[in-house]
Amino acid sequence: MTLVELQNVTKSFTKGGETITPLDDVSLKIPAGEFVSLMGPSGTGKSTLLNAVSGIDRPNSGRILVAGTEITRLTRSQLADWRAENLGYIFQTHNLIPVLTAYENIELPTLLLKLTSAERKQRVEVALEAVGLSDRAGHYPRQLSGGQEQRVGIARAIVAHPKVVVADEPTGSLDAETSEQIQVLLQRLNQELDITLLMVTHDQDVANIASRRLTLDRGKIVDSMAPQTTT
Amino acid sequence: MFSLVYKTLWRHHTRSLLTVSGTAVAMFVFCLVGSVQEGLRRLSSGVDAERSLIVFQENRFCPTSSRLPEGYANKIRELSGVSEVMPIQVWTNNCRASLDIIVFHGADPQQIQAMRPVKLITGEWRSFRDRQDAALVGTNVARRRGLSVGDSFSIGEVSVHVAGIFSSPAPSEENLIYTSLRFLQFSGGVDAAGLVTQHEVSLTKDADPDRVAAEIDRVLRSGPVATTTRRKGAFQAGTLSDLVDLIGFAHWLGYACVGLVLTLVTTTTVMSVQDRLKEYAVMQTIGIRPMRAMRMVLSESTILCMLGGLSGTVLATVLLAVGGFAIGAEGATIAFRPSLGLLVSGSTVSLIVGLLAGFTPAIQAATLPLVNALQSEH
Repeated sequence: MTLVELQNVTKSFTKGGETITPLDDVSLKIPAGEFVSLMGPSGTGKSTLLNAVSGIDRPNSGRILVAGTEITRLTRSQLADWRAENLGYIFQTHNLIPVLTAYENIELPTLLLKLTSAERKQRVEVALEAVGLSDRAGHYPRQLSGGQEQRVGIARAIVAHPKVVVADEPTGSLDAETSEQIQVLLQRLNQELDITLLMVTHDQDVANIASRRLTLDRGKIVDSMAPQTTT
Repeated sequence: MFSLVYKTLWRHHTRSLLTVSGTAVAMFVFCLVGSVQEGLRRLSSGVDAERSLIVFQENRFCPTSSRLPEGYANKIRELSGVSEVMPIQVWTNNCRASLDIIVFHGADPQQIQAMRPVKLITGEWRSFRDRQDAALVGTNVARRRGLSVGDSFSIGEVSVHVAGIFSSPAPSEENLIYTSLRFLQFSGGVDAAGLVTQHEVSLTKDADPDRVAAEIDRVLRSGPVATTTRRKGAFQAGTLSDLVDLIGFAHWLGYACVGLVLTLVTTTTVMSVQDRLKEYAVMQTIGIRPMRAMRMVLSESTILCMLGGLSGTVLATVLLAVGGFAIGAEGATIAFRPSLGLLVSGSTVSLIVGLLAGFTPAIQAATLPLVNALQSEH
């Protein structure tokens, strides 16, 4: 079953009198439960594609459907509601809220859902356990290592049980050892929790953990290791 | 979400505390200015100000220069529309504008009890009537001078024994010291046997104050001293005309305080939001609605403003309540009193300014381009 579908998506903008087209008539289908990595040189549209799927950037043309919802037709507020229920976002620089503890950072997305406090508590504890940070629940981001911060970021992305999780270079700011731990964690999330993952990375080794590897160049998908529907 | 707002404010506690302190000081001044203006309004409005007349010597302003025959009271009583007349000898330690003006009103003790809106807090009417140098002291004066029943106190050549302390619904009354008319007429330095400073005239219900005032001046024109009769409110406002102009100008100071608070809280909120644009972008990426982000920023500015505003307002209210402040000139005084109106206006202004201060940064937080903000340093 297709969970994410891009139909002829184009995104362009003008910078310094030059028209840049990070996404050029891209079409793509991602089935539920798949782990897809996006690779390519800088400026080829990887993050633009990720942001378009997340609904935080709008394409100039084309349609994006996620779990049957055409998100390109939603307003900014509707997109926020949609993201709260359907999307988890893992940032490269973790982007935890510094005044909140690890527990509170993870709890934040659940506050936007209709859950009882007991359900909320249970979800946060499960997410903390999934990333192996139950003993760091009361720590603030400044008290955590880079890898621990990223694990909190991953727990925050999955706590609302989203249909799809996007990750923008999740290991980009980590050392090799920590990067490996995060890769293992992402694989586990995909395989054990059946979470659909779309990940942008520069690193070939990181890309290899995905079940399908896409390469973008000049706004187009030019290579796919598990070709299903690419343009 | 409220805890996030609270924690955000606490994260920059120095900045927050400075903003709250600045707001508190500004609202403190705003309330003091407001209390002066309220005092002036009370002085020139109300039943007492509209339905009582003051007969004063023509072309005289300072109480020491107005010398009317005490017997004028009988002539005034005969006029239609007049229900009672109280001859009053006024003595003040300072005819010029002062923050510690002491004003004695010498009048018949029975008439004071019957005509003036005073209520004894301590002491007895009987000892006031029986003892020649007895005085009833207004609560404001007693507080300022630390007086209590049984004390003796002297100002210039007037020495009195405190027989009671009174309160009054008319705050300016609480700046007065009442003695018997005979005592004040014969006290050293006054030397006004058979003379009084003014006559206070109470009117019947249906009397037209302006008509009665004109009639009094017309009748007394044939006497040894010509008079000017005005409503009590107009008389007091006229006596304090120099101060009235200054107080009228002071309302600009109140507006300046509001402007200061607005600038201060806006600056703090703008800085706070600018520092955290990325955080707002992250929160909206997680699923927080733009309107909710807007409400969070508005909450921050409103909390800062309300904390400071309420602190300043409460502080001003307490100070006004215990300080017994008043300003006076020419024997008339304006009392600075706390009031529910001041509390409400201080709180309301703080709330409105808090919301206004947060409006622009709230719009910024709610409409920021998420992708750009996520790529920014902050």
